[in-house]
Amino acid sequence: MAAVRGSDRVSVKTKEQYVYGIVPASAKAPSGTGIARRRLHTVRTHEAAAIVSDVPEGELAVGREDLMVHARVLERALQDGVVLPMRFGVVMSDERAVREQLLEGFHRDLVAQLEELDGKVELHLRAVYDEEAVMREILEANPEIARRRAALQDQPADATYFERIDLGQLVAEAVERARDVDTAAILGELEPLSVAIDVGSPDHERVVARMSFLVERDRLASFDQAVDELGRRNEGRLQFKYTGPLPAYSFVDLPGQGE
Amino acid sequence: MASTLQRPGGAYVQRSSSGGLYEVIDVILDKGLVIDVFLRVSLVGIELLTVDARIVIASVDTYLRFAEAVNRLELNGSQSEGLPQLMEDLTEDGSENKTKGILEGAKESLFGSSEDDDEGSRSSKSRAGASSRRSSR
Repeated sequence: MAAVRGSDRVSVKTKEQYVYGIVPASAKAPSGTGIARRRLHTVRTHEAAAIVSDVPEGELAVGREDLMVHARVLERALQDGVVLPMRFGVVMSDERAVREQLLEGFHRDLVAQLEELDGKVELHLRAVYDEEAVMREILEANPEIARRRAALQDQPADATYFERIDLGQLVAEAVERARDVDTAAILGELEPLSVAIDVGSPDHERVVARMSFLVERDRLASFDQAVDELGRRNEGRLQFKYTGPLPAYSFVDLPGQGE
Repeated sequence: MASTLQRPGGAYVQRSSSGGLYEVIDVILDKGLVIDVFLRVSLVGIELLTVDARIVIASVDTYLRFAEAVNRLELNGSQSEGLPQLMEDLTEDGSENKTKGILEGAKESLFGSSEDDDEGSRSSKSRAGASSRRSSR
């Protein structure tokens, strides 16, 4: 196709398919359009269906809005029931490839995961330290940091570059310990309410942890309550960003695929 | 059906039913099902971003910022600027955050502020999209 520049592929009348996710065979495509405003439809076998849209001919330029489109299509699908989300950017050569290489090629894994994830949703929780609050806690708990800080107080900044790096490194280590303690406390409350959890590394120096939880829809209310209680208890020192319900991005995979 | 997914907001936690751009990037470029051999849309800027995300935390830059943060603390009268300061900090994603880390800075330079999330603007398309094309992996 024209999109692959320099390719010697002969033009065949097939349309490439952008793949969003996998749903049970009985499910319908979500309403609305997908990437490049193409209509959403499904490719199905008797066991599962893929939500797809045609890829327009020519070079496919993608931008931030397409990332949101992908996510929103899956969120709409989740309103109707279980969906296994695909990573952004999977384009297959035509409907037949979707059927044979995805749906049939991995049918056992797909069917098992559709069953396993039925009635469950993913929730994301990102906890972030209030800088002043965590620094104060660290200063109070670490005499060595307090001592070094005091020694730097009246010194000109450019004369203490290395001392400040050392101090900062001690603080960073203390933040690391605080992260472990706070992450354990958060998981201690939320793990009993979850089917599975996935903890990602912090993506910012003030982030405590980024956590994904797989939760039964029926338990959503108690999970919400537990998160809110954590927020109340940590008011002023931690802020929580809580997102969901989302498709189970963190709890799907195909054997041997992806990193 | 949709109503089962809607819950009242909490008082202490910032809650949303679906992620903004920041979170979407975090999730859909890294997680979800993938079949390696298939054509993948390659997003030059966005791929770079996911690499950036892994190099943030242990750096001299962070140490200096932490040292500054701990040096800045007022030990006496600690409560004096407590509340307003906290309220300010609560707008964590605000673009004026004084202690923004490398990652958020990088994100902003690629995508603009994470604040103006949702559908994004067509103009950004050329940035992430101009040099992108599909490639097989």
